[in-house]
Amino acid sequence: MTTERTNYVRDSRTVRPLVTARLVRLDGGRLAIHAPAVGLWRDRPPIGSLVRPGSLLGRISLLGEDLALVAPEGARGVVVSAVGDKLAQHPVAYDDRLLVLDRAVAAGSSEDAAAASGEELSSGLIVRAPSSGRFYRRPAPGKPEFVAVGDVIDTGKVVGLLEVMKTFTRIQYGGGELPARARVIALHAEDEADVSAGEPLIAVEPV
Amino acid sequence: MSPSSRIAHAPPRLFHRLFIANRGEVAVRIAKACDALGITPVFAVSTADRGAAYTDGREVVCVGPGRSSQSYLDAKSLVQAAVQSGCTAVHPGWGFLAENPIFASLCEVHGLTFIGPPAHVMHLMGKKTPAKSAMGRAGLALIPGSDGILADAADAQAVADRVGYPVLLKAESGGGGRGMRIARGPDEVVPAYNDAQAEARAAFGDPRLYLERLIEGGRHVEIQILGDRYGGAVHFGERDCTVQRNHQKLIEESPSPVLDPAERERSLAAAVRAAASIGYVGAGTMEFLLDDTGVLRFMEMNTRLQVEHCVSEVRSGRDLVTEQIMVAAGHPLRMRQEEIVLRDHAIECRINAEDPADNFRPSPGTISRWEVPKDDPNVRVDSHVTSGYEIPPHYDSLICKVIASGPNRDAACETMIRALGELVCEGVSTTIPMHLSILGSADFRAHRYDTRTIPGWPPKPAKSAD
Repeated sequence: MTTERTNYVRDSRTVRPLVTARLVRLDGGRLAIHAPAVGLWRDRPPIGSLVRPGSLLGRISLLGEDLALVAPEGARGVVVSAVGDKLAQHPVAYDDRLLVLDRAVAAGSSEDAAAASGEELSSGLIVRAPSSGRFYRRPAPGKPEFVAVGDVIDTGKVVGLLEVMKTFTRIQYGGGELPARARVIALHAEDEADVSAGEPLIAVEPV
Repeated sequence: MSPSSRIAHAPPRLFHRLFIANRGEVAVRIAKACDALGITPVFAVSTADRGAAYTDGREVVCVGPGRSSQSYLDAKSLVQAAVQSGCTAVHPGWGFLAENPIFASLCEVHGLTFIGPPAHVMHLMGKKTPAKSAMGRAGLALIPGSDGILADAADAQAVADRVGYPVLLKAESGGGGRGMRIARGPDEVVPAYNDAQAEARAAFGDPRLYLERLIEGGRHVEIQILGDRYGGAVHFGERDCTVQRNHQKLIEESPSPVLDPAERERSLAAAVRAAASIGYVGAGTMEFLLDDTGVLRFMEMNTRLQVEHCVSEVRSGRDLVTEQIMVAAGHPLRMRQEEIVLRDHAIECRINAEDPADNFRPSPGTISRWEVPKDDPNVRVDSHVTSGYEIPPHYDSLICKVIASGPNRDAACETMIRALGELVCEGVSTTIPMHLSILGSADFRAHRYDTRTIPGWPPKPAKSAD
């Protein structure tokens, strides 16, 4: 999250805390800015203004608390449309579209759109998520992780927890093509990450 | 005109717009009550529920992402969403924030009527250990255990050694069987404490635990209460929820087939007195354990509507959700105790998207075909599911409740078996085969079960012809 000063604060008030808007890529090189919270949105940037990462995009009032709405990484372009033109403060829901940015209109927007996508993890020996859910690397917050890179593990070793519909299941190493004894070479899934069925969790190599 | 006659002739006041801070089946149930009362419901949805068919034609406000800690458990976003959508009341449903007094207070502070008891009563009863001592003072029998919250694992060890094994560690903010662990001996207390604490923190955001002696072989019986703001309280009979798996209720029925009539009368009257004594408002349930001596021992109070409230609705012919909304709006109870007539026998089966043949593995996915039994006055189906519904992995696995009634228990069972046979759910695994096996088993019909054993499940291998 950035604290860069912006084009739109016209007085000297300091607005805190900050909340970063969500960025959605649209067809035709356009970008959409979506609300990161429920609330009343006001002081939105006018049509035609330039938005850069860190720009202030107005404020969202959540139960009377003002959150400064900040443009996220990669948000670069000129505001071409906005919701709620008639209202001084516009009620928005989470993930509502607030602004559409056009990058082509902005001069010097040369960054390439090809964001580094997650590399394919098709090769190698992989422990995969048995179903979709939330993955936990450790038995409890503050406890050490079940496995670390470099550990040598055997079939049956618990490598993580999976929370599906609020039920915790232990994920055990083994099965399929996996060798009975292996060394952990990479942890792919972050702690508390939402994973889908078959998603790689841990990469191993035979010992 | 005297002031009193002006009050008597004033039209009933009610909310115009009501915010449903919940999802799925209970959201649909609340909306149905709103429709009956002429109230416009506004649904809170997460991005995972945004396109769900159960909100079709309804007003919705997206409050956050699929992860419930940032949507259905985010009190500030829910209250803001209720305020900005013009609602004047919030119904929390069950689960999520339904028993959170901070959420109730936050609603009241921002001018919203919380459909439930006052926050201070919820704080007293929703937290398990103050509830126990309050109900003990009101004269209900209790289960021996820790005197309040456990300080740490060593404290748990000491209390467990004092009350005797086996013991049950329970989450102070728990419900639905989560955050509970059994310790059968001294060396099991510390691991059980740590496991229960981790689960309680993840599920409820509150790691505090207390301890009770585990009464094994008991039956779970609960009493439905409804109170108003003027000290009035009535009961809607008891429900027997003994058929459980991992403390998760599977089948609920009323009346309890094993409760002694004298103990029933005594406990129902005591529960009403206890509810009135603490100033309880709205729908609530006192949960008891029926021990092997036939005594109902108070366990905890759920200060909210419960999943299995439909069983009492079917027996009484009353709509508990509309009554709950009416008393929240300040109306006195619309019926006296003697006007609540409990008829017949009612059974509810909770249908979960789980595979009973594979150790109840959760089965999220898309329901390709969904058909429910129709045109039977003795069958009620409560569900948010339709053909094409995608069950999100973020929430619990309840997809449907089937309630069947009949003049006696066996007739209700037969009606239920027929209804479950007609229910079509393709695309995901459900617990229907387990329910059919239970309902058809001799153990269930002859009451040979308790909270530890599921009667008729797993099914015994079929006997050969000879």
